[in-house]
Amino acid sequence: MIDKNRPILETRSLGRRFSIGSRFSAEGKRTVHAVDNVSLTVWRGETVGLVGESGCGKSTLARCLVRLYDISDGELLFEGNDITSKSLSELRPLRRRLQMVFQDPSASLNPRRRVGDLVAEPLRIHGRLSSSEITKRVAELFDLVGLLPDHVMRFPHEFSGGQRQRVGIARAIALNPDLVVLDEPVSALDVSVQAQIVNLLADLQEKLNLTYIFIAHDLSVVRQVSTRIAVMYLGSIVEEGPAEEVFAAPAHPYSQALISAVPVVETTPGGTRKRIILTGDVPSPLNPPTGCRFHPRCPIAAERCRSERPQLREYRPGRKVACHFPTM
Amino acid sequence: MILSVRDLRVSFRTNDGLVRAIDGVSFDLEESEILGVVGESGSGKTVSLLAVMGLITDPNATIEGSIRYKGRELVGLPARELRRLRGNEIAMIFQDPMTALTPVYTIGWQIAEQIRAHRNISKSKAMERVEELLAEVNFPNPHEAMSRYPHQLSGGMRQRAVIAMALSCNPALLVADEPTTALDVTVQAGILDLVRKLRATHKSAVVFITHDMGVVSELADRVMVMYAGRVVERGSRAELFSDPRHPYTRALLGSIPPLTGEKPRRLPAIPGSPPSLLRLPQGCAFGPRCPVHYEPCEAGKPDLGSGTHAAACFRVAQA
Repeated sequence: MIDKNRPILETRSLGRRFSIGSRFSAEGKRTVHAVDNVSLTVWRGETVGLVGESGCGKSTLARCLVRLYDISDGELLFEGNDITSKSLSELRPLRRRLQMVFQDPSASLNPRRRVGDLVAEPLRIHGRLSSSEITKRVAELFDLVGLLPDHVMRFPHEFSGGQRQRVGIARAIALNPDLVVLDEPVSALDVSVQAQIVNLLADLQEKLNLTYIFIAHDLSVVRQVSTRIAVMYLGSIVEEGPAEEVFAAPAHPYSQALISAVPVVETTPGGTRKRIILTGDVPSPLNPPTGCRFHPRCPIAAERCRSERPQLREYRPGRKVACHFPTM
Repeated sequence: MILSVRDLRVSFRTNDGLVRAIDGVSFDLEESEILGVVGESGSGKTVSLLAVMGLITDPNATIEGSIRYKGRELVGLPARELRRLRGNEIAMIFQDPMTALTPVYTIGWQIAEQIRAHRNISKSKAMERVEELLAEVNFPNPHEAMSRYPHQLSGGMRQRAVIAMALSCNPALLVADEPTTALDVTVQAGILDLVRKLRATHKSAVVFITHDMGVVSELADRVMVMYAGRVVERGSRAELFSDPRHPYTRALLGSIPPLTGEKPRRLPAIPGSPPSLLRLPQGCAFGPRCPVHYEPCEAGKPDLGSGTHAAACFRVAQA
């Protein structure tokens, strides 16, 4: 159930800067704006998909949203409360409500501990449950994510990639969170297993009334999972809107190129999809272009795009684009 | 005929037992043809091509069967002879371009070295050729790119440099192992375009390994689907995508979320996960995950049979 009256998470002009190099290096100390001026509202019960090329800042943004990274500029609100600069101890009670699932489950699971123990860990840290209650809850979680009861005694290496990701998900939902940030949760999995995990995430969302922020580079997976998507380029959101609408009729030239580049299975020979091939690489965020950051690669760039940076504007309710000449 | 592989079997002795990575794979490749090999991890798609390249040097490996390149048997060929072919007539590109590039020399130097290893030409002539090659793979400024080190290039540009290196000796056969998997879709589109163009200009035959059905459907002339070390279906691109026959191919195509149209509420997923090659199920390896599985599937392994469009499945054979 999507509740449009209650934003669960909100960012206002959020930014994250990193400084790199040192004053002794040739270029001196420099600043990268990994996330720049992002204002995004996430409603309770929905799934927001973040898409964009590598280096566009989607993972950095995700980490800012759960405060794994400190926020350099702007504000982050959770259920209307400003948590931008809350200290770690102040954040602690919030942690149980904001969880994250990572791409590589084996990197986040201690290989020397049994998976039952790993799933129980957040319960022990945050909960006030007795050990028998914890055992019961772990069994419940295993059932929820589709693992067998006798799997609790196994070690992570005894599982396949898909099962390990199920363990990662069980850990994330152990404390009944409200919001789960999923950073490329299916990218490391075999194609035949991806669909299982995508379905599992959809089931859990329905059963537990979860809100998701979903990051993946596989655009068809993002479309399947998301109610709304935000397209990022060089640290900023360039387009935002309902997933199906954005995929059917992208308004920003970058979204158009990105979506047209996805290879799809054509059952009819000589398909009609037109492909826009972008020239050049993503510019370095250290030295972003003037004006619209996409203009050096944009097929429809005009004089205005070189000098004036377009703001993210709402053209239609729920449909935002940062472009001087959107296709709408 | 550029390449003809017959009943190829590759197995590895391990502490846990014998791993049959490839169990009877046969295929042919004609001049300037693109063969797409699709499969998941452990399906044997990479190992079969490593065998073709003569790159399986593990003392615990056994290679049986026949690999003929332009009529010449490659299995059992001395390493010196193979080296003469590799990088020259047969070239390979990998998923991670850094496996083929050294960080300590410039791109230009590395490609020139490759040319000079196989051709008797001067350094300056080789450098001229490098510039041509870099222009061919769409480096915006080829002359400048020659003096770049790999770390100064983006992932897409590195992969282009490796492709330039692979093309440097005009190979008759190019083997590409997931060359676009690590790249963004926008960059991938450019690389796929490049492969298509090169096939036309160089007349190279290409074996393109990928797990992405979409990539195969855009690029390949013929397709081979692998599962647990065997070919489960092969056919022309049109045959395979408009009339997939093997339950695995069908299920795999069905589980890909659509990019347009109605979103299914749930994806038709394949249950379970690919089997371990150490503990393959009895009979057909896809049996335990197969929706149309019945008794004969446990009794024996189905053969692929002959014909351009064929599927290794008892149900298909029966129909």
